[in-house]
Amino acid sequence: MNRMKLSFCSHLENEAFARTSVIAFLMPLSMSVEEVMEIKTIMAEAIVNAMIHGYEGREDGEVIVSVSYDEQKIVTIIVEDQGCGIPDIDLAMQPLYTSKAHLERSGMGMSIMSAFADEFYVNSKVDCGTTVTIIKQIHGIEDQQ
Amino acid sequence: MDYQLQDQTLIFHFEGDFDNVAVGKVKETCAALIETHRPKLVKLDFQKVDFVDSTGIGFVLARYKQIKKYDGELVLCNLSSSQKRLFHMSGIFRIIRLEQSEVLI
Repeated sequence: MNRMKLSFCSHLENEAFARTSVIAFLMPLSMSVEEVMEIKTIMAEAIVNAMIHGYEGREDGEVIVSVSYDEQKIVTIIVEDQGCGIPDIDLAMQPLYTSKAHLERSGMGMSIMSAFADEFYVNSKVDCGTTVTIIKQIHGIEDQQ
Repeated sequence: MDYQLQDQTLIFHFEGDFDNVAVGKVKETCAALIETHRPKLVKLDFQKVDFVDSTGIGFVLARYKQIKKYDGELVLCNLSSSQKRLFHMSGIFRIIRLEQSEVLI
């Protein structure tokens, strides 16, 4: 079992920092190119959601990313914010639904996270914040032969 | 990002991370160029793009709507297999054509 935790303010620039840090932390798992891409995308979606939706673009919020993995290469990622919360999670999960169409959002973030994860959970409370949990089995490059 | 305009075709070449920050930097420029020239064909070239997320899908859909208003056509070019997989989830290829050859004019 190995784990790490990152805490950073909701500056959009920090999304790339967090995404690449998570990939660096998971280096010992020898992920395939495809798995790296999937984890990067999951991180981008979860963090951008926290910043744009959770904190509604405010840059003084705190985003916490916790990542762990075990001997079986099962990775657990938790992304937390203390923002405005999601009033209707079922609606938010619908492909192409977005509450921010004027910002040219696609409404695909939740669907993408769900598709790239083995297990995907969203917990949210209005005015308290949102936590997304992603569990993903890494197969790595050795197993692909 | 750089672009080429020739005859009635406008091509945008993106590179590196096409993430939330990058899209935020280029979207107004792209939208303004399309609005000014109203080209019949707009190509978005992803050949040199290493990373794209749902922000990129939102950008493509917004340009599609913008171009469709004056009856222009939008084409996506040179997506990697994982980028294709990502865009495919949004059903984007039902309305937007994909071109996998080198785009040079």
